Amino acid sequence: MSSSSSNIHLYTAQTPNGIKVSMLLEELDLPYKVTQISLSKNEQKEPWFLEINPNGRIPALTDTLEDGTTPINLFESGSIMQYLVDRYDADHKVSYPRGTPEYWEVNHWLFWQMGGLGPMQGQAHHFYRYAPEKITYGINRYQNETRRLYGVMETQLAKSKSGYLVGDRLTIADLSCWGWVAAYHRPDRQKTETNTMAKKQDWAGVEIDEFPHLSAWLEKVLARPGVEKGRNVPEKHTSLDFKKLSKEELDKRAAESWVRTESTAK
Amino acid sequence: MSSTELNPPRPIVIWITPPGPNPWKAVWLLEELSLNYVVKSFRFDDVKKPPFINVNPNGRVPAIEDPNTGLTLWESGAIYQYLIEVYDTAHKLSYTDLNQRHLCNQWLHFQTSGQGPYYGQAGWFTHLHPEKIDSAIERYRGEIRRVLGVTERVLSEKPKDGEKWLVGDKMTFADMAFVPWNFRLAEVLTVSEDEAWDGFPLTRAWHDKMVATPSWGRAMKLRARLMDEQGLQWNGVPKGIETFTEYETKIAEAKEAESGDIKVVKV
Ligand SMILES: N[C@@H](CCC(=O)N[C@@H](CS)C(=O)NCC(=O)O)C(=O)O
Ligand SMILES: N[C@@H](CCC(=O)N[C@@H](CS)C(=O)NCC(=O)O)C(=O)O
Repeated sequence: MSSSSSNIHLYTAQTPNGIKVSMLLEELDLPYKVTQISLSKNEQKEPWFLEINPNGRIPALTDTLEDGTTPINLFESGSIMQYLVDRYDADHKVSYPRGTPEYWEVNHWLFWQMGGLGPMQGQAHHFYRYAPEKITYGINRYQNETRRLYGVMETQLAKSKSGYLVGDRLTIADLSCWGWVAAYHRPDRQKTETNTMAKKQDWAGVEIDEFPHLSAWLEKVLARPGVEKGRNVPEKHTSLDFKKLSKEELDKRAAESWVRTESTAK
Repeated sequence: MSSTELNPPRPIVIWITPPGPNPWKAVWLLEELSLNYVVKSFRFDDVKKPPFINVNPNGRVPAIEDPNTGLTLWESGAIYQYLIEVYDTAHKLSYTDLNQRHLCNQWLHFQTSGQGPYYGQAGWFTHLHPEKIDSAIERYRGEIRRVLGVTERVLSEKPKDGEKWLVGDKMTFADMAFVPWNFRLAEVLTVSEDEAWDGFPLTRAWHDKMVATPSWGRAMKLRARLMDEQGLQWNGVPKGIETFTEYETKIAEAKEAESGDIKVVKV
């Protein structure tokens, strides 16, 4: 990981958006420095960090241009990933040459994750687990939308010969979605009348069984050494461990989570 | 556009439903680049049905089909990158160097993931969801102000007398992407324009400059025509209904009658 020959510096935390970038850096075998940002201490809103990312969120990345000195600062995980493959994946290990149909297809899945899966599943987490007040409608709305989005991925993966979202290889489209789908095992759902997915989770422990191709994809991506390394940056990735926990243990975990602290402080 | 030299030679097909903001993000770019295109306008109720669902499996507008390259593409952000890379060869709205190219992309990602979803949820909870859930409305209003704060901060760091754009010294596709939702700001927040922009003077000036472009004017004229064709008023409310309150009552009634199977008309 950290070698001296690169100027890439990643500011991150153990979240679905953070690990996208570390998984990609590992897949590309690039050396980089890591600074862990403590979300529970609200470090992402400190002035020094806002200089790097005025949006006050992780991940953010700094690098230098080809001259080795001019700095570039980037935020938004999707944009960071596009930058990294554009600049460092000349062999197209996890990308396609610019202008090919697959190149554009990767982009629509990437934006689909950034504008759809991320924000919507993020809202599901908020309403189910972190909102101080329980709003059943909010929970259902976003859990159902997340479920619909998983269905869209399922359909795409069912058509795929490689088992990846686009073409014959793993791309930033897969990496962008992976942490989110893995996080669906987190304690972020509860059983409601209309949410069958949550029921299934409560009964079977693994609601993702409902989406066989998506389940297979989750495991397939997980099996890659780069992903394995990168998902554990800046600390251990535990989302998949939640599968094994009981309802009581899940509740306890959620109570300790940083977002709850933030929401109740508001 | 001159009819003798159409660019590209065969029209780009863009699928849209007229009410929501995202289709207009794409139509505006087509207009601003003076590209040859045709609009397939259909009802919002049909986004998750054939034929559109066969174009975009995600059932969201806009989507484009470009017969010149044989490509079908959806997600307005991906469509932006495509149109810019393939058709903005003169770099009217983009840059060529690595740094500025990726900074533009960064803002585009911020708009599609940070602005769009939160404005959209605020609009939903304020106007379309029959039950008023104050904490949800407040949550998304708060997000809107936070997002406006981000552009305000960045614009305030630009040289005092220079042009104020997100990247470099000219309007790019990154700036343009923010307009369709900010254009609905007052409506989403249900306040006057002055109240909506209060505290964000630079963002307002930046926005006003963009909505004054002839190309945005043409896009909005087209929207008015297509809304009219579907019997919708400017704000997305069917004709014959005078106020949002009346419309909200109608939605609530429909909801009771059809138990959830209501027609959704985006504001
Ligand atoms: N669209 C952004 C979303 C980033 C995001 O939501 N980051 C979260 C962690 S996953 C965060 O930093 N939250 C802290 C906060 O909102 O204060 C991206 O993909 O980079
Ligand atoms: N202030 C945020 C804090 C939570 C947060 O940042 N969540 C991240 C996930 S860790 C999120 O939902 N991101 C949305 C995205 O990635 O688009 C909220 O209340 O939603």
